[in-house]
Formats: sequence, C-alpha cells, structure tokens
Amino acid sequence: MAQPRRSPHDYYETETTDHQAETEIILLKHIPLSPGSPSPLQRDAHLQFLVRNLIQGLPSRYISQDASQPWLLFWTLQSFSLMGVAIDPNNKQKAIDTIMAWQHPKGGFGGGPGQAAHLLPTYAAVSTLAIVGRPGPGGGWDQIDREKMYEFFMSVKQPDGAFLVAHHAEVDVRGTYCLLVTAHLLDMLTPELLEGVPNFIKSCQTYEGGFSSASQPYFSPEPEGPPTLLDSPRPPLGEAHGGYTFCSLASWVMLQPYLSLQEPSVQQPSLNFKTLLRWLVQMQGSEIELGGFKGRTNKLVDGCYSWWVGGCFALLSSLGIIGSHDHDHDHEPTVHQEDEAWDDIDDSLWDRAALQRYILCAGQHPAGGLRDKPPKPADSYHTLYCLAGLSTAQHNVFLSSTRRDAILGCWKILPESTQDQLRRACFTHSLAWTEEEGTSHILGSKSNRMNATHPVFNLTMTHTEGIMAHFYKQTIPPRSKRT
Amino acid sequence: MDVPTEEEHLLYSQRPEWADVLPLEQYENITPLAPIFYTDEYKDATNYFRGIVKSEEMTPRVLELTEDIIRQNPGHYSAWQYRYKTLMALKCPLDDELKLMDELAVKHLKTYQVWHHRRLLVQQTRNPGPELEFIANSLQNDMKNYHTWSYRQWILAYFNDDELWSHELDFVESMLEADVRNNSAWHHRFFIAFQSGVRNGDQDRDAIVRRELAFVKERIAVAPNNASAWNYLRGILDHAKTPYSELQAFVKPYSLPQPPFGTPPEVVDLEDPLPSKEAQLPCVAAIEFMADIYEEAGSGDLMKATELWRSLANEHDTMRRRYWEYRIKEASKTIKI
Repeated sequence: MAQPRRSPHDYYETETTDHQAETEIILLKHIPLSPGSPSPLQRDAHLQFLVRNLIQGLPSRYISQDASQPWLLFWTLQSFSLMGVAIDPNNKQKAIDTIMAWQHPKGGFGGGPGQAAHLLPTYAAVSTLAIVGRPGPGGGWDQIDREKMYEFFMSVKQPDGAFLVAHHAEVDVRGTYCLLVTAHLLDMLTPELLEGVPNFIKSCQTYEGGFSSASQPYFSPEPEGPPTLLDSPRPPLGEAHGGYTFCSLASWVMLQPYLSLQEPSVQQPSLNFKTLLRWLVQMQGSEIELGGFKGRTNKLVDGCYSWWVGGCFALLSSLGIIGSHDHDHDHEPTVHQEDEAWDDIDDSLWDRAALQRYILCAGQHPAGGLRDKPPKPADSYHTLYCLAGLSTAQHNVFLSSTRRDAILGCWKILPESTQDQLRRACFTHSLAWTEEEGTSHILGSKSNRMNATHPVFNLTMTHTEGIMAHFYKQTIPPRSKRT
Repeated sequence: MDVPTEEEHLLYSQRPEWADVLPLEQYENITPLAPIFYTDEYKDATNYFRGIVKSEEMTPRVLELTEDIIRQNPGHYSAWQYRYKTLMALKCPLDDELKLMDELAVKHLKTYQVWHHRRLLVQQTRNPGPELEFIANSLQNDMKNYHTWSYRQWILAYFNDDELWSHELDFVESMLEADVRNNSAWHHRFFIAFQSGVRNGDQDRDAIVRRELAFVKERIAVAPNNASAWNYLRGILDHAKTPYSELQAFVKPYSLPQPPFGTPPEVVDLEDPLPSKEAQLPCVAAIEFMADIYEEAGSGDLMKATELWRSLANEHDTMRRRYWEYRIKEASKTIKI
C-alpha cells in the first residue's frame, strides 16, 4: 500500500496543523501492510481488561469517575453484549443490587449512592438494567419508581423544551437523549413531556450541519401569562460536535412518532439534512488517519466518534434521508473477502471498511481495552464506543416496515392507558429496527464480528425487546429468521 | 494526583467539630461491581457528605466539606449542587466564591461543573464584565475548550448588553490570528455576526455579510486547506440565501493546480484574493464548492459538476468516494425529470 498523503498545511503552520502532524506520524505506524488484513480483534485481552475492572475494581485515579458509576457499569456490560458474552447469574444480581443503590428516593438515579438524581446516570442505570435486570422481586425492573422518575423529569423541564441534566445544573442535549431513551424503554412517554423538545433540538443545529450542546432561548414578555419563546434569535451555544450530534439526531428519531401524531395544521420543525449529511461525512478522517472519525472540524480523530458519528448514518437512513432502497427485500447471504465486493451490497455514504481498520489497527491497546488513539491508555468509555462503532460499521440495521407491521399486529390495548396511540407508535418504532440479512461486512477475520446494536439505544435487539415488552405489557412476535 | 494541601490533614472522622454528623457508607450490605479504590481522604469526605445530604444541613462547614470533595473530584456534581444550595441558603458573599472558581476553572478546565457553577454565580451577581477577560485568559491554555467557548457565548447572549459586545469582533479576530484553523473561534464569529439578533450599528445586514465575506476570503487565501473557513463561507451564504455562484470568481483558482511559478495573474481583483504561493492546490473544499455552483446552475453544467465530484471520489478525497458518488447519482436524478 502506497504511503498515504499527509494532510496539507499550505506552509502556514498553526497549533492545529502541529497537532495534526504529530498524530499523523503516530498513525502512520499503524497502517496495515494490506488494507484487507487489519490487526485481529484481541477479544480475550479486551474481555480481561473489562473483567478486571468489574471484579477487581478500579484504581484510585478513577475517583474522577465517582459520579459516573452507572456509566462505568454500562460501558463494561454493553461491551460484553457486543462481544456476545453473557454474564453469570451471580454477577448479574450484583449488578442489579449495585444499580438499585443509585436510585434517588425522589426519583431518577444518581452517579452513585446518595448522589443527586441526574439524567445521564439515570439513562446509564436503566440501560444497564435492560442488560442484567428481570421482572419480579430483586430483579430491578419492578423496583424502578417510574412515577417519581417522571416527576423528576418534569421538574427539570425548561420552557424552551430543553432539560436541565439535574437540579441547578446545565442544559445539554445529552440530557434530552438520556431522558428520551429512558422514557421509551420504561413506557413513560406523554405529550406533556415531549412538548417543545423537537424545536429545542432544531435550535441546536449549527451552520456547519452538526449540533451543539445547547441553545440560548429568548422570550418576549406578555402582559398576562408566561413570556413567549421567540423563534429567533435562538443561537446554538458551542460548535457542531460529534457527541451532541448523535444525541440530537437520535432524539429526533425518537420524536418521529410524536411528531407524526400532531395535528396536520401544526407546523412541524425540520432539520437541515443536507448540511448534516455533509458534516457527518466530513468527520471521517483521510487515509492517513485510517478513516477514523473526528468530533469537530479541524480536530483529531478519536475512537469514540466511531459510534457518535459513525452511528449517525443508520439514524439518517431511518429518516429516509439516505439509503432508501427496500431493505426488507432479502439479500442472498454471501461472504465478502475483497474490498470491491462491498459495492454490491453497501449503499452507505461513508467508508465502513476504513472505520473498521481504524478501530482494529489504532483503537486497540496492546494490553487490552480500546482507546482514543495511540499512544493513549485504554478505558471503558472508549472500549464501548469503539466496539459499538465496529458494530455499526459491520451491520446494516434499518427500520423494517415488515417488522413494524408484525409488532403492530400483536399490540394489546391496556385498559388503564391514556396514551395508547403515542405508546403504540413509540413501541413499534423502537422495535422495528432489524438487522439486514446477508449484508454484514466484517473486515478481516470472521472472529472480528460484533453483535448488532440498536442504532438509537445502543443495546442489543434482544435486550431492547426484553425490557420494552415488560414495561409496555406486550408480547413481541418472534423474528422470522435468526434472532 | 491531587494531594491534600495541608500537611496535617485530619480526616473528618478524627475531627471533634464533625462528631455530630453521622457518616454514611456508600454501600451497605452489598458488594458492588466495578468498585473504585478510594483514597482514605476521599472516602471519609464523601461519607460525611452523604451524612450531610441526609440531614439536610446547610451551614458554613458544608462549604468546607464540598470544596474539599470538589478539589479531589471536580466532577462530583452533587457536591456542586449542594454547595450552591448552601451558598444561597447562607446568603454568602459570591465574590469570594468567584475567586475560588477562578482558581478551580484553571485547574479543571475540562469539567462541566466548574463552568456551570460560574454561570449560576454570575446570574446572581449580575456582573458579567470581568468574565470575558477571564475566559480570554483561560482560552490561552486550551484554545478549543468547548465549555469555555459556550460559556462565553452564554455570557453574551444571556446579558445581551451592548457594552459587553463592543470588543467581541476584535477578540475573535485575535483568536483566529493565533490559529486560523480554530473551528471554535469560527463558530464564535458566526454566533456574533449572524445568530444573536441585530446589535446597534449592525442594522445594515448586507454590510455585515460583505464584511464577513471579505474576512473569510482573506483567511482562505492564507491557508486554503482549512475546512473551518470554507464551512464559515458556506454558512454566510446559506444564512444570507446568496447563491454560491456569486463566489465563483473567488473560488475557481483554489480548485485548480497552483499555476506555474511566475505566471502573472490575469486580472488583479482586490475583492477576490488569490491563493498564497505556498498553498497546496487544488484544494478539496474549493473543488466541492465549484461542483455545488455547477449543480446549482443545472442542465449543461451538471456534467462539469459530475466531473469534479468524480475527481474528488477517485483522486482528491477518496475517503469520501461513496458520498461523492451519491452526489453524482442525486444530480443525475434531476436531469431525468
């Protein structure tokens, strides 16, 4: 393979080009001799890395993560799920007991026992319960206080459709994503909770196409009643960023059923998908960056954006923006060894093979675990988001109308439910995601294969179905082929 | 590692003045998964913090305790939250608190909480003046810090005071002077110029657009391979609903190879600066821009657009080959109609 071109600096060097050049020199050493044969996935080493953290514990430098204990557990256990590793009943129970110690008496979960409720750990705790929990006493699921959690959600809701991540804390679109995922999984959706949220998301889109962390609302005072929120100005605070873009776009996807139930006379907010798609593809690094993703313009590639940016393409497809061919039509399962064979089956607009190469060749730490980039150490955050990125690069997961119809056909109306339409629409929309048969493309050895992951929730389909069937009190029809 | 600053730092459990607080262990009767090996100081302080939260005590010693925890773990959002509630309950002088924040923000630049706590305090003091200088200094250490930039934008938007805004354009220009590729600074410029309403003296919106076009063109000329500047250019045009074709004369030389040394320019156009002699041409963003112009023109020009996209796909920007092929496919759909 010819040595790839260095990024041009126009002989006008600045801090940005200095950092870029340093990174390219390092990444150059990680380019595989043959593009189709990357370093194999060191599955055992990664498992050992995670198990060590889980069982033996984390060294004292992790004190900085003391308020993120639910995240540490989610990153670890979801990494197991992606690698197809089940957890033994004893450790499952330990996980459930640990998680339930984080529930706040006034609703929601905190970053550890006795910590204040916060949307981010609430999401991480509930998602982890989707992996390890079960119904019944001691199983976690039925010990979640959903009424109090709903009160907590409403107590952090702002007049512009944003949510504070915790009382007296910041507004941040990560909070919106975390709240929406939790409310979807636990059957807590109401129009009251969702009102104004689409417009808040829309206001975070920047001129570059990606999304910022938040926006600033302006209000005009009214002689009577609450002030009116102005459409403009409503500036995004902060530049387009991969993490916030994922949270915004995934939130937008989750809001589709709600939006489709609005009165036709109500004007629907819309996003600029043209600039968004352009920005997303621009985030993929060049050959010398091994096709890893960056999180912002003129910043460095980082393994975690494999998921935050790489994961956005499946979300875009579900909105009909790209890749609109009929995925329900089955492809013949085939084995693809050569790079060229991808073209027949892959209508994606980004380079899936290159991302796999980055993760395998630069993302893996030799001592186990995955990382931002060499020579950084591994951590559980990067381990999960590199593996989830690998999964999204390997599999096509799409919203299947066949699957949606099958789920709808089994829907049972609950006598006590007041929000049947919204609940049904969100339930079927969440569970219609299906892995396209025969189109997986695993770069390198077959043992590099990850399980497919839910493009919105980042849980396996099995875990998503399990927890949602329980909370919505529904029976989910079996999948027609493999699970 | 942060080491306690006092040489004889007694644990709270050893201090008689804390004897009335019942410390709470984190986990009782369970063995947690993924436990963190805490230092004795951290474990002790957080045990007392849990005790305080439970008893809902809000006294001056709570400020000492929460500061201690925050210094050991600035991401402990509950300690921040409880500290804020205590400051409010005690009606503490917030200038002292801001001084403490000056120190902590520099130490823990990448923590959400240090910046948010400042926001809460400044909303109380309603004195945003010193903040801009503090932010400017803080950006010297980390020119692309996301929190710092969003905090600056928040200060400007929230207080929305012309005096605060008066030097903002100079400020962002100096940041771009330091690094013309700093995308955070470009975003800030867009925020100032186009997204925060119309300020006194800025009522002539066409003049603002002209000013910004001139500014970004000069920056592109110096270093053409700079995605931030091109995105800014597109941002202006999209915002002003100006067709890209109006920039054709400027963009074209950037989409071509560097002319042989000594070639005199055909026309000297002061409004459309030429690429520097050092520029590595053709520039991918310029080729893309030209293709967009041709696509916009439609009909016969679509062939030219296709040719440019093909050159991106096969030669200049191969990582995005699929995207460029998609653009070709999408454009060809419009021909058939």
